[in-house]
Amino acid sequence: MTSKDNLIKLLLLLSTVFSVLVTVLIVLSMLSETLRFFSFVSPLEFFFGAQWSPQTALRSDQAGSSGTFGAVPVFTGTVLIAFIAMAVATPLGLLAAIYLSVYASPGIRKSFKPVLEILAGIPTVVYGYFAVVAFSPLLREAGNALGLDVASESALCAGIVMGIMITPFIMSLSEDVMSAVPKSLIYGSLAMGATPSETVRKVIIPAAMPGIAGAVLLGISRGIGETMIVVMAAGLSANLTVNPLEAVTTATVQIVTLLTGDHEFDNPKTLAAFALGFALLIMTLVLNLAAQHIVKRYRERYA
Amino acid sequence: MLDIFGRRAKIAFRRAQRNKNPFVFVADKTPEQKWLSWRKTKEAIFRQCGLAAIVISCLFLGALLFSIIGNGYTAFQRVHILLPVEFSADILDPQGTNDPDAIGSADYRKIVYSALLEIFPEATERREKFDLYALTSKGAYYQLRAMVLENPRLIGTKTELWLPAASNVDLFIKRNSLSTDDEIASYKINGRQYAWLKRLIEKERLKTTFNRALFLNGDSQEPERAGVMGSIMGSVFTIIACIAFAFPLGVATAIYLEEFAKENWFTDLIEININNLAAVPSIIYGLLGLSIYINVMGMPRSSALVGGLVLALLILPVIVIATRNALRAVPKAIRFAALAIGATPVQVALHHTFIYALPGIMTGVILGVARALGETSPLLMIGMVAFIIDVPRAITDPATTLPVQIYLWANNPESGFVENTAAAIILLLLVLAIVNAAAAWVRQRFEIKW
Repeated sequence: MTSKDNLIKLLLLLSTVFSVLVTVLIVLSMLSETLRFFSFVSPLEFFFGAQWSPQTALRSDQAGSSGTFGAVPVFTGTVLIAFIAMAVATPLGLLAAIYLSVYASPGIRKSFKPVLEILAGIPTVVYGYFAVVAFSPLLREAGNALGLDVASESALCAGIVMGIMITPFIMSLSEDVMSAVPKSLIYGSLAMGATPSETVRKVIIPAAMPGIAGAVLLGISRGIGETMIVVMAAGLSANLTVNPLEAVTTATVQIVTLLTGDHEFDNPKTLAAFALGFALLIMTLVLNLAAQHIVKRYRERYA
Repeated sequence: MLDIFGRRAKIAFRRAQRNKNPFVFVADKTPEQKWLSWRKTKEAIFRQCGLAAIVISCLFLGALLFSIIGNGYTAFQRVHILLPVEFSADILDPQGTNDPDAIGSADYRKIVYSALLEIFPEATERREKFDLYALTSKGAYYQLRAMVLENPRLIGTKTELWLPAASNVDLFIKRNSLSTDDEIASYKINGRQYAWLKRLIEKERLKTTFNRALFLNGDSQEPERAGVMGSIMGSVFTIIACIAFAFPLGVATAIYLEEFAKENWFTDLIEININNLAAVPSIIYGLLGLSIYINVMGMPRSSALVGGLVLALLILPVIVIATRNALRAVPKAIRFAALAIGATPVQVALHHTFIYALPGIMTGVILGVARALGETSPLLMIGMVAFIIDVPRAITDPATTLPVQIYLWANNPESGFVENTAAAIILLLLVLAIVNAAAAWVRQRFEIKW
């Protein structure tokens, strides 16, 4: 009996080790391809170059076949779109969470929860389709009415749609952290004659600030890793701009365009995708670890 | 009713103030009162902001569903034209060989063309004929070919048959609310074709029927023949591979961590690791699949197997976390009772705790499957975006999944594909709704409240 038990235990342990192995594999495979990429292209050019046009490296015998791999415009585009998304998602998610937990009647709360669950459950490819077919034309018309020239693949369009996608995420996270604020603080504030909004703005939000910051960091991490919305609604060419009305590209868009189709692994064009992916992985990991650290310390404070 | 502080009292108060009525004493507002009313205004503004946030997200969801259903509902119907088809032996089998190869390679276009000319004999010039022939879909030829190959005795007979209309005719008839020439032209239909279509309607030779092709066909270059069957089978195979891999692994990991692992640095590491895996962007898993499964292990590119294994890594943390929560919810008393009657720790874990936690685990697995079903980007990395006409029959065949099919169709600028895309999205959302409902049902029906 014990030998069978030990065998089962061993199997369980092995599968646990495997899940760690996945992370190791992710990091190792990305790292090795990235190092190979840096044997073609210097890291200095990649991190500080302002020119991104990998598509010229189509054939090795072509003139100017090396392509240019300055990733600065790609990263600014990524950050710009994630920033617009968070500018939409943070107020929307936070206000919705506050309204639901402070003002809403149980009836409204009950009927609104499914709406957010649906928004959270819609696949991102559907958001992408919506951005292209409905939202982008709408935005262009609104821009024309205001006398602005909005590009059809503007950062604004992708950013706003992505923001709506992240809203339920921010909302449920901030609702969690706000409900962790001790009731004694809230009742104390109300008993002193503060209105509900004053209690929210001056007591609940400052107390829950670390948790909300953690939620925003996780939201940013989702925004920069999001793929389908930007692949469908954002641009392909890497423009170095912070104007939200123009088309920009993101790291995920570049990974998809570089890797769809045939690829050989000895050319910098393919390997560039892995370098971008590695940078993406590092960014999201740092954001997640920071967010987890902040939230953990926050929970300990009120535990 | 005495209404000292209420609305009516306020109105009377203001009226008295405005009229400067000397018989009503109106005191100026004290600074405290002004401050209080300003605070109340701020309160109202804040509250309205909260409501606005909710209204905006509801509006957005409404707009999303409205635009998708508005674009997609027409795709569930197709326009067919009734034509007098003559399976003439001169065209199909001139030598009278009855050889299936010869019959299969015959020119079925001519049969459709002569049927069209029989209805509209006035089309004599080349350009007129060209316009006329453009009314039917290429699908009509394939349909006739399949009919003849199935039943060669049709050769030499003549019947009235409903044949599919071309994509632009199909859209034009389905959205039949056109008045101006511009609108007609936007469907690439000229005046001649418009007149013919009108006569077809008068003769009752046009009908709109349920679009079976959308459900039964694989992908196609022509929007009127393209269907989701191939991608649905691809999704099924992918999910099978995904569950077969992720379920045992995820559950075993969770059982080990929850029941056997001691608290040490290794367990902490695994914990941090799993939490972070859940937040890694999905496209990174695609890159991993490309470099490990395809380049190192040499698995078949574009296959549902690789897709399933990539998605398995993606939902592994979801399953682990759900299983751990379910195991944690099982009371200690169950474990102690089993230990007390002589069960070994492994038996306690597998025969008791696991069984009681099973409904919670299943809910987590189903939610993980829902996530895998809607995932697109990692599959783009491993080549599941190929244009695949055949419905996949095995797990190693090249395949796409439903969300990837949506992405592919959304990239196609033809207007027929816009409605196909929306229809495929409607199907995907329905599937996801069913899967989520299943999870809710399992939770309600089987989960044990301790």
